Parts: sequence; structure tokens; C-alpha cells
Amino acid sequence: MARATPIVRDASLRLSWQVQLRVLGALLMRETLTRYGRHNIGFLWLFVEPMIFTLGVTALWTLSKSVHGSDLPIVAFALTGYSSVLLWRNMPGRCIGALKGNLALMYHRNVKVLDIYLARVILEFAGATMSFSALGTLFISLGILEPPQDFLKVVAGWLLLAWFGAALAIFLGALSHRSELVDKIWHPAAYLLFPLSGSAFLVAALPQGAQEIVLYIPTVHGIELVREGWFGDRARAIYDLGYFIPFTLVLSALAMLQVRRIARFVVPE
Amino acid sequence: MPIKQVLSATDGGSVALSDPRRSVRHKPFFMKRLFLVAVVLPTSIAGLYFGIFASDVYISDSHFVVRSPARQADSPLGVILSAGGFAGASEESSAVLEYVRSRDALAQTDSDGLLTRAFSATSVSWFDRFGTLLRGSTREHLFDFYLGKVSIENDSALQVTRLAVKAYTATDAQEINRRLLVQAEKLVNRLAERARDDAITVAASEVRDAQAVARSAALALSRFRGREGILDPAQEADVRLQMVSKLQDQLVAARTQLQQLQTFTPQATQIPFLRTRIKSLEREIAEQTGSIAGGQTSLSLTAVKYQQLRLENDLAEKRLAAALGSLEEARAEARRKRAYVERISEPSLPDYPREPRRMRGVVATLLLGLLVWGVLSALVAGVKEHRD
Repeated sequence: MARATPIVRDASLRLSWQVQLRVLGALLMRETLTRYGRHNIGFLWLFVEPMIFTLGVTALWTLSKSVHGSDLPIVAFALTGYSSVLLWRNMPGRCIGALKGNLALMYHRNVKVLDIYLARVILEFAGATMSFSALGTLFISLGILEPPQDFLKVVAGWLLLAWFGAALAIFLGALSHRSELVDKIWHPAAYLLFPLSGSAFLVAALPQGAQEIVLYIPTVHGIELVREGWFGDRARAIYDLGYFIPFTLVLSALAMLQVRRIARFVVPE
Repeated sequence: MPIKQVLSATDGGSVALSDPRRSVRHKPFFMKRLFLVAVVLPTSIAGLYFGIFASDVYISDSHFVVRSPARQADSPLGVILSAGGFAGASEESSAVLEYVRSRDALAQTDSDGLLTRAFSATSVSWFDRFGTLLRGSTREHLFDFYLGKVSIENDSALQVTRLAVKAYTATDAQEINRRLLVQAEKLVNRLAERARDDAITVAASEVRDAQAVARSAALALSRFRGREGILDPAQEADVRLQMVSKLQDQLVAARTQLQQLQTFTPQATQIPFLRTRIKSLEREIAEQTGSIAGGQTSLSLTAVKYQQLRLENDLAEKRLAAALGSLEEARAEARRKRAYVERISEPSLPDYPREPRRMRGVVATLLLGLLVWGVLSALVAGVKEHRD
């Protein structure tokens, strides 16, 4: 056998990547169909569902004139806050126990554990992003909302949150295959994290002592970045990417470790 | 073996994974391209920068307390949190925090070019210096640079504010810190003075108004007295009424006497005398009564004007007293509300560059690089598991 040259090696990586893309595409199609079916609006539920959530929360917060400690319009506040929550909270929710439901698929040589998680993560990301941008566009065109001041910052914050959500989702998903406790603990944890996640307040509105504590929660940094992008100078955003990014990086490494660990033991049904 | 050859000789990962026996021929992981790019390259750059190029940074610290009157928490959230032991910063101390991070603070500290000199000295390495291609050289760039060098934090539990200034020499750091501190003091004094002056100015102008009104009222009253030749119409009327009643007594007595004389001694010589007396008494009484009430110059008419003036005078006096009271109150309040900066520790003169923490920087880069490499290599391996 001839010695592999770098060209061959790159080609093989590319070929593998193409195969993985095909697998991911197929898994995505399958996910959408099994979850939403072809009834009524079908796959549109993907982003209509989070939209309804966000709209409901926006309406509730508007009616209750929720305390968020700033003079920002409540609609903009709820939209940025709750969409971000949906982004990082739904991913783990979908990935926990995902493998168990899809064990039959593992018969296929090219369907790997990570692919199943990735498919669900991508789907959730697509849903949350579509809902966020659709509602944003709607509110802006209705004149309820000002367009974002710095679009790229919003995108950066959104992507960082998505990265965090994906890492958390894959980590918890892989852990949940080893222990059912993860599923039991995640639900209360997700509810408890919601008010602390930065979606319902501005860090700058809190007293210093509370700020220091709140800034240990990674999602706060991402949401603050999204808000800074959207509101510009009107909201003084406090965040530290030097904390958020390494945190997410460590989480990603742990997630990859877990996935490789369970991939060795996973048995197709 | 040169690196280029090593790279080109590296086997495809897919082959190695599919055939474990072939992995013997594999280069160890630390020679692979991914590892070189994700770990070796950043760590060497960090090593070069922190080992050779990074300039020493001296940090000058100062601590102070912004004393200010107790303030009520204004938002419901603030109330909840302050009940939980999280006290918010006072207005003055927040003002100081904001001021230090403002362009004003930069402009005033840099009024003689101290900051520009300290940050763009040629003794500072090219990578850290202000004014190079990396950092830009406009005022806005300077402001960004300045923000990176100054940090101010308020410990809400202790109410102590810490101001830390980084510079490339110890004396620069101390001097910049000292200037910022002096300006912060000035700012707090200005704010306090302003708050105090506002309250006192309003009270003082009120007093001035009241004084003017009282003066003119008193003047009008005394002028009236001088014109009418009467001190107090009511007393004057009393006196005259007493006189009328005396006259009436005399009139009654004279009439009784006249009747007695007419009855018993009709020829008495006193009768005509008595008649004249009664007539003059009656005339006198009518005149006096007329001067008290009725007629253009009567006392009752004068009393109306007098009462008016008197009332105005009384009101003006009361208003003056109230204004003086509130001025006194405002002064007391201002004394109570004094805000000022109390220095706890003067700007320090560091004798050792606390930054950059060179080892720490290199190790952090190494760890982050390893993390990136771990994640990426796992991803790449994951991709390579897919085969047709």
C-alpha cells in the first residue's frame, strides 16, 4: 500500500465530512418528521413553538410591568431575554435521553453518537434562531422595537450562547445515557437557572455584590452581549468573554470526552 | 527531520483508525498539524511575548471612601436586594466610578500630556505602546487604551472604593493615580456644594422676598399713621367713645337737673344756663359720634384702611419668620448632607511590576490551547469515523 500523502489525507477528511453531512442531513429530516409530522403546519412548528413561548412571556412581562431595573422597552427586553433562554435551555432538554430513543439507528455504520446529538442541537438552534429573527423582524416592522444597534454583536452573542447550549446539551446528553439522575435533575435546574440566567434583569441594574455572584453564571455574559449589541449605549452591559469562552471551551472538552466514552459502550437495540 | 517532511510524512488518520496495526508508523500526537496549530504555535507566541516583548507594568493603588448621606433605595428590586444585605452604591460614589472612566477624566489628567507621554514612551515595547499601528493614535484610541489601564471598583459591603492605575513606570502610575484621586475629590466637592447651594439659594431668595415685603408693609403702615396722625384707630375710637359716654352722663345729669328746676323752682336763674349747657353737650356728642362712625373722615373709615395695612404687615412678618426658619433648616440639612472623599490609603508607589504575570500568561495559553486541541481533535476524529 502506498504511503498516504497529505493530499490523500485531506481528501479523506473531506470525504468523511461529506458522509457526515449526509448523515446529519438525514437525521435532521428524520427528527423533523418524527417530531412534527406532516399534520397541520408540519415542520413550521419548529419555530412557531418557541415564538408562541416568547410571545406569551413578552405579553406577561408587558402586562405585569416586570421589574428589570432599567428604562428599556419591555418588549425588546423580553424578546432578547427569553429567546436566549430558549436557545440554551431547549438544547439540553432535547439531548437528554436522545440516544435511548435512537438506539436502533446505531445499526447504521455511519450514524455515530455525536451525530444524533448534533442533529438535535442544530434543529433547536435553527428553531430558536428563526423564532428570534422572525419575532424581531415582526416587532421592528410594527414599530414596537428599535432595530439592533450593532447587528454583529447580537450575532456574536447569539452564536456564543448557542455554542454554550450545544456543549451543555451534548455533555448532559452523554451523561444522561450513563445515569438517569441527569434527566431528573435537569428539569428543576433549568427552571431555577431561568431567573438567574440574565434574561430577566440587566447586570448593571443589580447592586455590586449581586453582580459579582451573578457573573459566575456563564449565560449571563452571552445575554449581556446580545443586549449590548441590540441596545447599544442605552444599556450598560457587563460581561467578560475571558470567562465565558474558556468556560464553554472546558464544557465542550468535557462533552467530547463523554461522547467518546459512551460511544465505546453503546449497544444498538 | 525538518518539520515539513514530518508533516508530509504524516499518515491519514482514517487509515490509522481503520487499521490499528498501521498506527505504529504514526507520528506521535505532538507532531501533528492540528496540535502544532492549536497548542505549539499559540504557546510559543505567548512565550515570546511574555518572555521578551511584554513591558513591565506597575500598578499604583489607592483606597478611599465616598462619604455621603444615607440614601433610600429607589427601585423595588433595590429594596429587595438591599434587604438581603446588598447595599447599593451612593450617588456620589457612582458618580466617581463613572467619572474615572470618562473622557473628561482622561482630558484633565492628560492636560499636560502626562498620559500620552507615559503610554507612548519609546522605552515601552512596540506591542504594548500607545500610538503604534497596533493601537492607533487618535484621542478615541487613547481613551480605549486609558480604559484598559485604569480600574475602579467599589466594594459595596465595605463601601471602600479602590482605584488602580497601570503604567509602565512606577512614578507614572502613582502620579496618574494621584491626579485622578484629586479630580474625584473635586467632583464630589462640586456635587455636594451644588446640592447644598441649591437648597440654600432657594431658601435665601425666599428670605429676601419676605424681607422686602415686610419692609414695604411696615413702611406703608407708618406712613399711614403719619398721614392720619393716629396711632391706632381702634384705641382712638375707644377713647372717643369713653368721652361720648362721659358727655352723655353729663347730658343726662344736666337734663335731670333742668327738669327738677323747672318742676320745683321755675323762676331759677340757672335754667337758661342749663339749657345752653344741654345744647352744647348734645352738639358735642353728635360731633364725636360722627367722627367715630359715618362721614368721610370718620374713624370707622380710617379703621378699615388701617386694618388692611395692619393685616398685610402681620402677614409679611409671619412670612419672613417662616422663610428665616426654612433657611436655617436648609443650612442644617446641608451640614448633614455633606459628601466628601475620605482617603484611606494614598496612591502607592510600586517597587515591583505586578504585571504582566508572565508564567501565568504562558501557562494559560498552553491550557487553553490544549483545550482547543482536545475539542478539535475529538471533532476531527468524529468526522473521520464516517466512511463510505
